[in-house]
Amino acid sequence: MDVLDELRKVADNPYGYARRLKGEGRAVIGYFCSYTPEEIIFAAGAHSMRLFGTHGEISRADAHLQAYCCSVVRGALEEALSGELNFLEGAVFPHTCDSIQRLSDIWRLTTRFKFFADVVLPVKLTTESSRMYMVEVLERFARELESAFGAGITGEKYLDSIRTFNKLRAGMADLYRLRSARPGIVSGSDFLAVVKAAMSMERRACADMITRLAGELGKKGPSSNAGGGKRIMLAGGVCDHPDVYRLIEESGGVVVWDDLCTGTRAFEGMIREGGNPLEAITERYMTRLACPAKHRSLTERGERLVRDAKEHKVRGVIFLLLKFCDPHDFDYPYLKESLDREGIPSMLVELEHQLPPEGQLRTRFETFMHTI
Amino acid sequence: MRGDISGRRRESPGCTVEKPGSGATAIEERDEEMYTAGIDVGSITAKAAVFKDGAVLGTKVIFTGYSAGDAGRRVYEELLGELGLDASSVSRIVSTGYGRNSVTFASKAMTEIICHGAGAHFLNPHVRSVIDVGGQDSKVIILNGEGRVSDFAMNDKCAAGTGRFLEVMARALEVDLADFGQLSLVSDEPSRISSICTVFAESEVISLISKGEQRKNIIAGIHDAVASRIAALAKRTGIRPPVMMTGGVARNIGVVKALERKLELPIEVLESAQTNGAIGAAVIAARHG
Repeated sequence: MDVLDELRKVADNPYGYARRLKGEGRAVIGYFCSYTPEEIIFAAGAHSMRLFGTHGEISRADAHLQAYCCSVVRGALEEALSGELNFLEGAVFPHTCDSIQRLSDIWRLTTRFKFFADVVLPVKLTTESSRMYMVEVLERFARELESAFGAGITGEKYLDSIRTFNKLRAGMADLYRLRSARPGIVSGSDFLAVVKAAMSMERRACADMITRLAGELGKKGPSSNAGGGKRIMLAGGVCDHPDVYRLIEESGGVVVWDDLCTGTRAFEGMIREGGNPLEAITERYMTRLACPAKHRSLTERGERLVRDAKEHKVRGVIFLLLKFCDPHDFDYPYLKESLDREGIPSMLVELEHQLPPEGQLRTRFETFMHTI
Repeated sequence: MRGDISGRRRESPGCTVEKPGSGATAIEERDEEMYTAGIDVGSITAKAAVFKDGAVLGTKVIFTGYSAGDAGRRVYEELLGELGLDASSVSRIVSTGYGRNSVTFASKAMTEIICHGAGAHFLNPHVRSVIDVGGQDSKVIILNGEGRVSDFAMNDKCAAGTGRFLEVMARALEVDLADFGQLSLVSDEPSRISSICTVFAESEVISLISKGEQRKNIIAGIHDAVASRIAALAKRTGIRPPVMMTGGVARNIGVVKALERKLELPIEVLESAQTNGAIGAAVIAARHG
């Protein structure tokens, strides 16, 4: 089977895949956010599985959460309560946004998974004290994993894990570069499938596959629709909707870059291979592109957005924000102004677990593509 | 400013109107002998316009009904019949509206945002913002000096504040929707409608009726509620004058007046407001020869 097919298969049915892994004796741990130190979970012998919420109806979760929580948080609790996530040993809650923190408490009160961990990360990512604090937080998380899964994490295991994640991220970086150089080389929905697989699949196997995929695509000639669509960058939080990519393409656009949690923010930055592994993992978080729930400077995200948009020669930026995602909503006006100042057009689409009616979304995308 | 039903431009205070076919409008490249058509299939009505020599020859509005494709064909054929034109004399058709892709015989489909912008710019090149409120959508469109769309916003997920909302209220009040505008203008004390949801707002209206509130005041309250929704969208999009309102709801003088108060800006409405999207589509068809 073709590599892309295999990755697509995992992305289409990540829970089926996770159940099989569990059947093989692997502990599966759910996570919600790219600030989850997955490298430690892998080193402890467990498997980290990103949870995106549901595309179905939400009813059980609303008994515990306010309607103004985002659909990822509501959807994840829904699936935990419905039994859909019974393959999990437990879940990790990094301290990022308020809703994830509240979900952490409610999850513990309402579900019966064996493993549970809060990873209380610092908010500021610039100071020496936050760096030292973060290393301690990661040490504590490692101890929790060790006592839950009964194995000590040796230096060798850390190094193997860091190398695996570095390989995976290097492969993703190659794919990103290829897509920017030859837009349409992989369709937007296939690219999302690769991203999802990289967050769901057994990481060693996945790193191999993504490396192979990048190698194969690198040898391929220019894509059939190269130069056809207008170059678009996506910015925002979590986007788990292949249809968004399809509609952008059908409206005359082609995504060449992103600043998404389900995108570059998860894959940017390599971890130093050598020295204290937890310090090395901390260093990546301190230097990686920050999410709006973290802080490095007042203007860094805007400057970076403009820089990426220019570097990848995009005609326009589409913000995909989850409805009720406070951190992103607070950042949006200033990010838009940063783009406006540089004459880079942008549009905003609010997403939930279910997309707005296709006709409306299509009208907005088509109009945007026409105006840029 | 008032134009005639065909959408031909007339002089208006404070606006310099170019003579058809002259000056800097985008139609200058068109073929003088060519007929073009625009077909706008909306959620409630389908509109058609035929354009030649820089002028609108005629427009037509019918109900869309079940099939968007059939409505597009029918409104077009009926208009051609009224104008005594043969389909073979129309060189290019642009379709628009939510049913634009169902008009299979059109040369091209463009979104209604682009077409309303083009129509408004053609009819009055000074317009910088267009508020288009149709059956299920409300849109705010910002135009640059060349009449190109520079920014836009539309309602999503909820049809409160649109034509369908007004239809529901007209049914509850047993008043012909066409009389809504004039009735609301004589209101001395508009009711307060606080619900945003169409269904809840209807219940609120029914409660007001049972309390014996006068129709004119309820209707004025409904118009205020609709105008608030549209004004919020307009302000978020950075509306700037001169403002034109288009779409079927622009025919309701009560909504227009309420919106003028909320925005603190005068709003221009042409007789051709409802067919503005179809006119814009026909103008674009001419431009692209």
